Amino acid sequence: MKPAPTLSSAFLTPTGQSLPQPLLDLRAQRGTALTDMPLPTRKTENWKYSSRYLQLTEALAGTLPAAGKSGSALAVSGYHVVFHNGIMVPEASDYPDVDGIEIKRFADLDDDEARELAERLDNTLDAEAVQLARLNSARFEDGLLIRLAPNAVLDQPLFVISETDAHCSGSAYPRIYLDAGRHSQITVVEEYISHGDEPAMVNAVTEFTLADGAQVTNVRLSAEGENVQHIGATGVRQGAHSRFDSHCVGFGGPMRRHDLQVRLEQSGANCRLNGVVVTQGKQHYDNHTVIEHVAPHCESEETYRNIAADQSHAVFNGRIHIHQDAQKSNANMSNKNLLLSTGAEIDTKPELEIYADDVKCAHGATIGQLDETSIFYLVSRGIDRRNARTLLTMAFINELISQIPVESVRATAQARLNHFIDQTFTEA
Amino acid sequence: MLSIKNLHASVEGKEILKGINLEIKPGEVHAIMGPNGSGKSTLSQVLAGNDAYEVTSGEILFNGEDLLALETEERAREGIFLAFQYPVEIPGVSNLQFLRTAVNAMRKHQGQEEMNAAEFMKLARQVSKQVDLNPDFLKRGVNEGFSGGEKKRNEVMQALLLQPKLAILDETDSGLDIDALKVASDGVNALRSDDRAILMVTHYQRLLNYIVPDQVHVLAGGRIIKSGGRELALELEEKGYGWLGVKDEDEAQVAG
Repeated sequence: MKPAPTLSSAFLTPTGQSLPQPLLDLRAQRGTALTDMPLPTRKTENWKYSSRYLQLTEALAGTLPAAGKSGSALAVSGYHVVFHNGIMVPEASDYPDVDGIEIKRFADLDDDEARELAERLDNTLDAEAVQLARLNSARFEDGLLIRLAPNAVLDQPLFVISETDAHCSGSAYPRIYLDAGRHSQITVVEEYISHGDEPAMVNAVTEFTLADGAQVTNVRLSAEGENVQHIGATGVRQGAHSRFDSHCVGFGGPMRRHDLQVRLEQSGANCRLNGVVVTQGKQHYDNHTVIEHVAPHCESEETYRNIAADQSHAVFNGRIHIHQDAQKSNANMSNKNLLLSTGAEIDTKPELEIYADDVKCAHGATIGQLDETSIFYLVSRGIDRRNARTLLTMAFINELISQIPVESVRATAQARLNHFIDQTFTEA
Repeated sequence: MLSIKNLHASVEGKEILKGINLEIKPGEVHAIMGPNGSGKSTLSQVLAGNDAYEVTSGEILFNGEDLLALETEERAREGIFLAFQYPVEIPGVSNLQFLRTAVNAMRKHQGQEEMNAAEFMKLARQVSKQVDLNPDFLKRGVNEGFSGGEKKRNEVMQALLLQPKLAILDETDSGLDIDALKVASDGVNALRSDDRAILMVTHYQRLLNYIVPDQVHVLAGGRIIKSGGRELALELEEKGYGWLGVKDEDEAQVAG
């Protein structure tokens, strides 16, 4: 039998050494642990539909160089931190110095801070389940640490923009760690974008820990180019009565993967996870979510929508795990999928694992096409067919887009969706 | 305005319309009555251009133009309007967005400027009052969660906004209580004019108490078997379809 392919050792060699020593140690340790890591194949259950898109060629192993300046013409008003190939660009960043809110790049941490962080990194993620995202911990060159003291409130969203500059081939490892103290509040917008045309890979990990009563909103916009593979993971741990709101908007690419894992660890915690994915051409996008109801009296509400056009392929796997002690859990999961062509493929798999007996748990998944009766109704009012299809396609996701709490992100998402529509419905 | 000659149509290979002939002139109001399964709705759908129905022979001229050569949206822009028997619910598209898109498609076709959101809102509020719909419904999804009566009034509202040349009302009276029926009828009567025709398709004659037709046709077995004036409807109410030698599964309710 042919041995399963393993991750090339070239991927386990970080480039920069400018992090504080405890983080360099952590990185080396994680790298060692990944030696000979088997790469996912279609026999790997949680990569079943996606392994064939993964192209981890040696050319991607090297770290993309940091140009030290922002290459994009982003007009972000408000607080923002810009990462360029995984390294923070202070000149392009603008964020407040507020009492109780600490925003620091990893490279600037002193040894004590770095030691504390090293102990906490990766604690929100199930290492086995996220697989390739573990590579981030062996390779990050920098990162963003956000710490909110109890009751601290950031008055505006903080944009964290991860730009990938793919003018040569290689990979980038953006990293965010957020620690929200009791009853603190923050909105973090992650935007992943790219320029340049060479093959590249982005391996991004974001972690959130929410103390009792903390409220964190996370908007994640994944919109890199056709040359960029993206493997991302977000881990969340929630204390009592904390609230985590997630809005993920993803545009397809050659290989797109996002794992979102939320642990409701203390009574009264609740999360809402919204996701929208559109794919076209030969694009791919795979969302894997896991919600762990560990404690009783927690709520989760998950709504994901996929739209696949042309010969593209979208995947949704949503797991809800209700632990034995998690009585009175209330979990809702809905995944609806729209196929815009006969060549498109969508795979969806809700997974419910329930060990408590007094819970409310509902799930639903559908896959369908645009409804001909609805199209007829619209065109019978003089609306042209293209417009009718556009209205119905947008209707499928409007509700989720309108729930994104940051106006400028809604506008960006809408503009990209319009582009998607223009490309998909080409007939006059 | 509308001239139907020897129209045959089938759905899924089954012939439903077996030679319809009908002439409608501007300003006229015609009613087509008939038992269930007689082909009333098929006729409406064929006129509007639903391609689930196949026209196997015959012709339809609309203002001298070959209607069957036109796509559904082109027919609508030429002035054909069908008030659906079962209006479709479209969550996620607001009524306002839907109505404005439709009105602007029409205006564009007529070489008029498109209406902006504020102008249209003003118009839509006005017309929604005319059919006694709370303007709040404009923000909701198209027909989403509407009662049967609200859906039908929304259809009439669309006719008022789009100002068609030929309005086809498919069972617009069904599902309406007496108050809603009056409101909907007032809306339809407001459409009556010398240059516009109305074709009502109905099982029952009660609608005709509110919208008085110039001509009544009885459709049975895919053909018009009798035509007459207003009095024909009253006769049907009294005697039922059986009087014409037609079986009707809802016979007992004909007078309803």
